[in-house]
Parts: sequence; C-alpha cells; structure tokens
Amino acid sequence: MQNGGSSGGLQSEMNVTPLVDVVLVLLIIFMVVVPLAMTGYDMDIPRTSTDGPPAQEDVQQVILSIAPAACRILEPPAEKGLPADCRVYLAEREIPASDLPAGVAEMLGTRSKEDRVLFLAADDRLNYEGVMRIVDLARSGVDDLTIDVIEADTGRNQ
Amino acid sequence: MQGGEPGKMQSAINVTPLVDVVLVLLIIFMVVAPNMRPGPEVDLPTTEKPLEQGDARDRILVTIDEHGALWIDDKPCKAESFGEGLRAAAGAARNTRVVIQGDARLQFGEVRHAMLAIEEAGFKGVGLIAKRTGAAAKGD
Repeated sequence: MQNGGSSGGLQSEMNVTPLVDVVLVLLIIFMVVVPLAMTGYDMDIPRTSTDGPPAQEDVQQVILSIAPAACRILEPPAEKGLPADCRVYLAEREIPASDLPAGVAEMLGTRSKEDRVLFLAADDRLNYEGVMRIVDLARSGVDDLTIDVIEADTGRNQ
Repeated sequence: MQGGEPGKMQSAINVTPLVDVVLVLLIIFMVVAPNMRPGPEVDLPTTEKPLEQGDARDRILVTIDEHGALWIDDKPCKAESFGEGLRAAAGAARNTRVVIQGDARLQFGEVRHAMLAIEEAGFKGVGLIAKRTGAAAKGD
C-alpha cells in the first residue's frame, strides 16, 4: 500500500492547471478584441453639384427631415429612446418616429440595394445623439441602407 | 533509486506558476492600457442596433469632443489644418476609412461640418461611431 503508480488508483485532486491556462488565454483574447471593435453607422456625403450630376436622378429621392419643432431633441435625450411625441418627415409626410422602420421599409424595401438611399436632412441645431437614434430607427427598417447626409434647408426645399 | 530523496536534482523546472504570473500581468496591462490612451474622453451616443465598424486600428479615428475640438488619431488638430491632418494620417493608403467619434452632447451641425471637411479632403463616406444601449462603457 505505498503511494503512486497503480493504474487503477484514484487521484484525490484534479489537475486544474491546463484548465486555468485555457481560461486565461480566452480572457486575454476577449480583452484584446472587445475594446477595438467599434459599432456605428456608415454615412455618405454627396458631392456638391459642381462635381457632376447627382446619382439617383431617375429614382425618386426619399428624404428624412428632422426639424426641432416636431421632435424636441435639442438637448441630449434621456437614457434610451426618443421623446414619445417625436415626429419626423419622411418624404414630406409627417410620421411619428416610432413608425419610421415601417415607413422606410415600405418606401425603400422594394428597391434594389444600390437604390436604397435615404437622404438625411437633420437640422444642425439638433442633438447629435438624438439624430443618431432616429438614424438607428430608419436603418432598422431595411438592410443595406445607404444614408446620405444633406443640409437641412436643401432637404426642405426639394 | 526511487523519488523523494531531498538532494536529488530535478531535470525540468516547473514553469506553470511562472506562466500563470506572466498571464496575469499581461491581463492587468491589457485592462489598464486603454485607459492610458492620450486621447480625449468622449461620451459616445448610445443607440439600439449599431452595426459593426471593424477594427479601430485600420481606420482614421476622428474624435470630436464635447466642446467641438477635433482630434485625429487621438492627437489634437486645429479646424483650419483638419484636411491636411487627415491626408497626413492617411499617408499613401488611398482607401482608408474615416470614422468619427462624436460626443453625444454635440449639435448635429458640428458633426456634419466635420463630415463635409472629410469629404473635401478626398475620403468617401464616414462611419459615425455609436455604442449599443447598455453595453459597457469604454475607456472611462
């Protein structure tokens, strides 16, 4: 009855060292990857008219206008979401911001991917975070949406 | 000649404790390093479903802080020399993407003007960085 060596002998302690090593390495991998991965939205800025004809000439342009009178987001909105009475103009129609995903899907969902362009004409005085949340709603309506940022006044006059 | 003799030399050192200590140090530095970044602190806007924007290392990172001051790759940049700064940051690489980290308290106009300046400097499109609602805060 001396120690070690018998093949059927039970070891009272599990060898945790390989387990700990693997866990630490996984931890490192996650720590390296997480802070550098960024999330956000792609935006295009159409070139000014002097650079050539704008794209989308034959297709009707869909403009999303956000005015401070209809959606009060001059100050950063609350923790999440938008003011409940926030209304935006999608292709000249005034709709509640919560209807935006459905509205964008209806207007752009049937188009081919290259033509899914939404022109964003947000008033310069609006809060950036509020505008981003509206963009988030619009983008959740259809996949592969291209967003072109235009000046707010241009948007209203067209 | 079996084991247990106190004077017996072991031919291999036990490296496991060493490896553990090194890994823990590595983790500590990795946690601390992002907070030692020289760049400005920004309070990113939070949204429900932001899309992946890829790795920060392949991008030109434009930061606009709370007061509207511009930073390119965490180095302060004057508004007048913004275009030149961007072209210098891009170097020979023509297709580098630019992403903007704008503070949530900014006005949309300030971000839009930065976007126009980026477009004028010859870059096609930008990414606007946002954080998913409820995701852990980064760098603060």
